[in-house]
Amino acid sequence: MTDPLGWGRRYLMCPPSYFRVAYQINPWMVEEVVADAGRAREQWDNLVATLRAAGATVEVQPPEEDWPDLVFTANAGIVNGNQFVPARFRHPERQGETAHDVAWFADAGFGVSELPIGVCQEGAGDALPVGNALVAAYRFRSDAASHAYLSHLTGAAVRSIELVDERFYHLDLTLCPLDSRRAIIAPLGWDRYGCAVMKALIPEPLVLEPDEAMRFCANSVVVGSTVVMPACPPRVGRQLEAWGFDVAVCDVSEFLKAGGGCRCLTLALDVTLGS
Amino acid sequence: MASEVVEIEGHIIDSLILAKVMDLILAAGADYRVLEVEIGKTNVDMSRARLEVSTPDADALQSLLDELQVHGANRVVTADAELVAADTDGVLPVGFYSTTNLPTSVRIGGRWVEVRQPEMDCGLVYEGLIYDGEGRLTSVPMHRIRIGDLVVVGTEGVKVSPPSRPRGAHPFEFMNSDVSSEKPKALLVRRVAERIRRAKASGAKVLAVCGPAVIHTGAGPSVAALVREGWVDVLFAGNGFATHDLESNVMGTSLGVSVHEGTAAEGGHSNHLRVINEIRRYGSIGAAVDAGYIDGGVMYECVRRGVPFVLGGSVRDDGPLPDVYTDVVEAADAMRYLVPGVGVALMLASTLHAIATGNLLPAGVETFCVDINPAVATKLADRGSHQALGIVTDVGLFTSGLVEQLITPT
Repeated sequence: MTDPLGWGRRYLMCPPSYFRVAYQINPWMVEEVVADAGRAREQWDNLVATLRAAGATVEVQPPEEDWPDLVFTANAGIVNGNQFVPARFRHPERQGETAHDVAWFADAGFGVSELPIGVCQEGAGDALPVGNALVAAYRFRSDAASHAYLSHLTGAAVRSIELVDERFYHLDLTLCPLDSRRAIIAPLGWDRYGCAVMKALIPEPLVLEPDEAMRFCANSVVVGSTVVMPACPPRVGRQLEAWGFDVAVCDVSEFLKAGGGCRCLTLALDVTLGS
Repeated sequence: MASEVVEIEGHIIDSLILAKVMDLILAAGADYRVLEVEIGKTNVDMSRARLEVSTPDADALQSLLDELQVHGANRVVTADAELVAADTDGVLPVGFYSTTNLPTSVRIGGRWVEVRQPEMDCGLVYEGLIYDGEGRLTSVPMHRIRIGDLVVVGTEGVKVSPPSRPRGAHPFEFMNSDVSSEKPKALLVRRVAERIRRAKASGAKVLAVCGPAVIHTGAGPSVAALVREGWVDVLFAGNGFATHDLESNVMGTSLGVSVHEGTAAEGGHSNHLRVINEIRRYGSIGAAVDAGYIDGGVMYECVRRGVPFVLGGSVRDDGPLPDVYTDVVEAADAMRYLVPGVGVALMLASTLHAIATGNLLPAGVETFCVDINPAVATKLADRGSHQALGIVTDVGLFTSGLVEQLITPT
């Protein structure tokens, strides 16, 4: 018996007004690469329209000139009901985003609970709900030590997964929960303990081949029975359709230059952990 | 051996993190001991574990700790020990850490500093910069404390390790009870001889602590032979042992009894006084040896071989001999000076000097307490020298057995 996800109908997004590849903090970023501002805006607008068409509400956070990666709202923090746990970014290039994120969430009526200083955790990019658990990743951007604090702050049952492949530097490049039993997964990004833990959590996984994972297939957004994907190879599409999902492909190629896909551009605001 | 305690908290059971951390420790060739585990009652509850991680050396420990930290296992932060400057000569600060004879480390300036020569019932004095932990840490007896000495106070940041007893490498394994008269003595003697050989081969010193009964029981020539052949490097005794050793050499009696016939010599009760008196005339045992007044015995061999000895006095001593320390604090200091480097200690039919020596020895020194009375070994253990192995037998038989093992060609 599968139930649809209990979350994913309300998202926070930030327009790419100042988006550019200004530095290199993951293997996908190459400073010489220039993102086309016009195309980026078109792709972002198209993603917003697709999500809305699928039935989602999209709230918009104002962009900030000094923080080009603010566009990747998935990393702003972790939402748990009316609680917001802001990220603690590993790289100084992104640390300035937090003040703007906290301001937005406070304005929107969220209670803000902070992780201790000195512990890195990059928001929903490294922590996604799977069933009753919060699957949280560590090594490249988030610290394993943050997981106990996350559990203290949110009451969530955390499952810690170690990421082992730097190309998949955030959890949301390797995991996309689809419903109560299924998820798109890229286990090549996890260590063997992480694989064993995920196997127990996800009875019916759609396991990505390496080339599919490299096309950011796991960095997708699920709205009810619609999966909004940066790319959808035929094998993946057939499986999703067989499970009853509609696939909408959104070209986000300008954002892929910075190592982010559809999921990275969104932050679900309707998550309540443990429910 | 280096060790550190790490703590890990979270959903470490369901996330297999605890299993991973344990696997990583073993894969690194290190070892762990689970000190504490609290497992959450439901899958929402967090669990917590404390592991003691040990590696062969400090560098390996550091790199393993760095690796474990990635998985959320953090070193349990131990505060530095408190250091308080002594404000009176010969007086330790209030609340001073009172030492044991076990290997001890103290956290200073964020590092574990090892005590150089552990000695029980002392204070710990640190010399060096308090913020880098690169100085020296020594056991210092109360009377040697000087104003301004930095003394460890309290027990925080102090780590005491029980001595490890590797299998097959220690004589303890052939004794279930430490003190027993029910053991085959020839086997024990052979094992002790082996330990002495091994200690000498590794460059360690052998210490003999002798009571007067060594001479009364006729063990004198055996001990003298051991000294002569280089099997004894340091000798501790009292006025009585030295006196009877010298008396038996000069007069052929020990406390007036012939060591050969076992009969009381006429007027023998004053023999030892006459010998002491003559040695006092020479000024020292060494001078008496040089003058030819003494030409054999344990003290003679010590002088000839340059084996250092300390004769500690007591209130009932006759004479005493000119070499005897009449100030017991000075005597203990003189003994303390000779203790570093000792690997094996033989306590031969001695109670007071054996206990005094036991107080000075680090727990790592293999100590064999040979006495016809099992109470001596028990007393030694009761006073903290747990490493002492009691061998209940006649010291004369024991030492002649040792001579047979160590000197007589086989």
